[in-house]
Amino acid sequence: MKKFLATLLALVMVLSLAACGGDKGGDTTPPADSGNTGTTAPPADSGSGEKTAIKVIAAEYGQNTKQWWADFVTDFNSSHDNIDLTVEAVSWNDIYTVVNTRVANNDAPDILNIDVFADYVADDLLLPIQDCVSDETYAKFYDAFLEQSNIDGTIWAIPDLASARAMYYNKGILEAAGVEVPTTWDELKAACEKIKAYDSSIYPWGIDMTTDEGQAAFAYYIWNNGSDFTDASGNWTLDADANVEAIEYAIGLVKDGYTNSDPANETRYALQDLFGAGKLAMMIGPNSIPTYIADNYAKANTPAEEQIDYAFAAIPTNGSNPSVSAGVMDRFMVFDNGHSDEKIEAIKEFFDFFYEDERYSDWVLMEGFLPATSAGGEIVAAADPSMAPWVEIVGSCKFYPTAKAEWADVKQGVINVEQQALLGGNVKELLEDLQAQIAG
Amino acid sequence: MSTKTPSAPAEAQELAKKVPRLSGSKKLFRKVEPYIWIAPSIILMAIFIVTPIVKVFQLSMSKVTRAGLVKGYNNFENFTNVLKSPAFSLVLKNTIVWTIAVVVISTVLGFMLALVLNNKFRGRKVARAIVVFPWATTLVIQASAWNFIINKDYGTLNTLLMKIGLISAPVNWTPTPGAYFAWEIACGIFVTIPFVTFCVLSGLQSIDASYYEAATVDGAGYFQKLFSITLPLVKSSLTVATVLNIIYVFNSFPIIWTMTKGDPANHTDTLVTYLYKLAFYNGKQGEASAVSVIGFLILLVCASVYMIYTLRKGDDDL
Repeated sequence: MKKFLATLLALVMVLSLAACGGDKGGDTTPPADSGNTGTTAPPADSGSGEKTAIKVIAAEYGQNTKQWWADFVTDFNSSHDNIDLTVEAVSWNDIYTVVNTRVANNDAPDILNIDVFADYVADDLLLPIQDCVSDETYAKFYDAFLEQSNIDGTIWAIPDLASARAMYYNKGILEAAGVEVPTTWDELKAACEKIKAYDSSIYPWGIDMTTDEGQAAFAYYIWNNGSDFTDASGNWTLDADANVEAIEYAIGLVKDGYTNSDPANETRYALQDLFGAGKLAMMIGPNSIPTYIADNYAKANTPAEEQIDYAFAAIPTNGSNPSVSAGVMDRFMVFDNGHSDEKIEAIKEFFDFFYEDERYSDWVLMEGFLPATSAGGEIVAAADPSMAPWVEIVGSCKFYPTAKAEWADVKQGVINVEQQALLGGNVKELLEDLQAQIAG
Repeated sequence: MSTKTPSAPAEAQELAKKVPRLSGSKKLFRKVEPYIWIAPSIILMAIFIVTPIVKVFQLSMSKVTRAGLVKGYNNFENFTNVLKSPAFSLVLKNTIVWTIAVVVISTVLGFMLALVLNNKFRGRKVARAIVVFPWATTLVIQASAWNFIINKDYGTLNTLLMKIGLISAPVNWTPTPGAYFAWEIACGIFVTIPFVTFCVLSGLQSIDASYYEAATVDGAGYFQKLFSITLPLVKSSLTVATVLNIIYVFNSFPIIWTMTKGDPANHTDTLVTYLYKLAFYNGKQGEASAVSVIGFLILLVCASVYMIYTLRKGDDDL
């Protein structure tokens, strides 16, 4: 009898194990997707049989994102009886793996909020976004932003938010060293020299050439030398003379000892920490730096006299080139899951709801980002006067060429060039090699 | 007692009657039974070990798009791409240096520490507990702590040396990629020593004291005893520790990833961090799988050499 029971137990174990690998729920059959961790959906109700299910995967920008989406889902579902929305907020560390796994298993989300999109277009996975957004909502975006998601004349994604970069400087250090805020590369070098002479323990200039964000440094210097990743017709021009000059200038700052000691390993966050501690005089950073520094001071109970007095200004340029701010933009895209007309309508309703001016500005302010719609921009600027100059900057900044399929390779490639150059490599040769590799 | 005794033969008789009736199904059950018991383990292994290995081999020979779609076999293109890349030889060299340096140095130091801990002294238990600490801490925490110690700007090493007056200005402890790699190796050694120490210690404790007494009577010195008694007798534990260490260290990811992410320009990358970057930063999952297969084959060769070696020596020796 005992053996029989044991055998039965073993069989149950085996069967339950086999059941673990069970099939996935259908795409449009609610309640969909209820078992995922991080899902902010309310428990699926039994009466949802006729509802249209929308599955969203969204990037988790910070600690407030998950709660914001949970509230959004509650509001949306209570005001849309025929739609069952679920939103899964996934951290940036995992989102690419999660999405790729879902795509590979034919379980792509209906709507995805992420930064990249060209790879999904290359695999014919997306729907043109204009088909999935109402005309009123579509008209709200800055044109320049929409253009960033243009591949072969089709717009594939809409921006959900943006951030922009500027040069931050420590007023106290610059004043003490007798330095004006630099606007050109020559002035920057002279300022670094004076700061170094004033106090050698202070790093005059911060540079981040790490795997995390080295491509940003590349963009700051080439854009402010009047150059770009591509020419006007979209061909890669990585080894352009102006690019070589720009990177040589940046590497020169490191070699002259004007920067943080290890640009290949010190991320922007390390620089922000040094800046907040008054050990770094100037750095280029995003609009979220004030929030970051204030949070750090609050966490460490830093007394007011130890807190730095700082401001931001345009990024210095070479000679008379106009100063260019670097913009970073994330997007919403819609996967082509064979949607019915009702579902497309439901998706449109989702976007209308999300981009309602008040709700949208709340979304943007929630983690200290910048809006991608002009109406949102006005509300944000009115709500927080310190954001007003940023809203202006973001309307005119340049973006990475993320619409090009080679961007992922270019991004890693320019980081590699910078790091090789830091080790003594020849910038021109390195960029020529990269150009040959990318452009073929 | 008196009531039970007579009933015992009766039960035995009943059982004896039952046995021939059940023998057919029982025989079958006896045959099947072991498989049922090991089935859960086999299924778990198939799901969590065999399937991923097969999948990696499959991916390594497939074209995988950045969005994660597998677009059919592309023969060995992923392998040729990986082997052609100038970074690969550097990464392979780093992996070999990393594995040999960490395994050899931690084995020597761990062995010495085990000899010390095997002596009887006051506080021996506390000392043994302290040795376990690095082992019991998460590698990411360990690596972050090391990074914090050696950092030029706010590192504790510089602060300490400045406080005691040995240096007047902060020293950059990681001026070159080589220096950074050396610190990573040091961290690797630090966290590996406890494992070696405890393997060797268990071997040392099983050595009969009479061997040493006899050797002492014969006039053997410390080193004679060490090389003629201790080493041969702990060799088996040492071999197991070394082989496991080679596999662990070769596949170790957290230390290097936390300290340098393989930067600058792959100069501190090992195969594991390199393939992680290929897969999750460059979106080249096919090539990342190819690197993974290459690593697997290298370890397979090492393990096979070990297996052949131990089989030849026979069970008596090991």
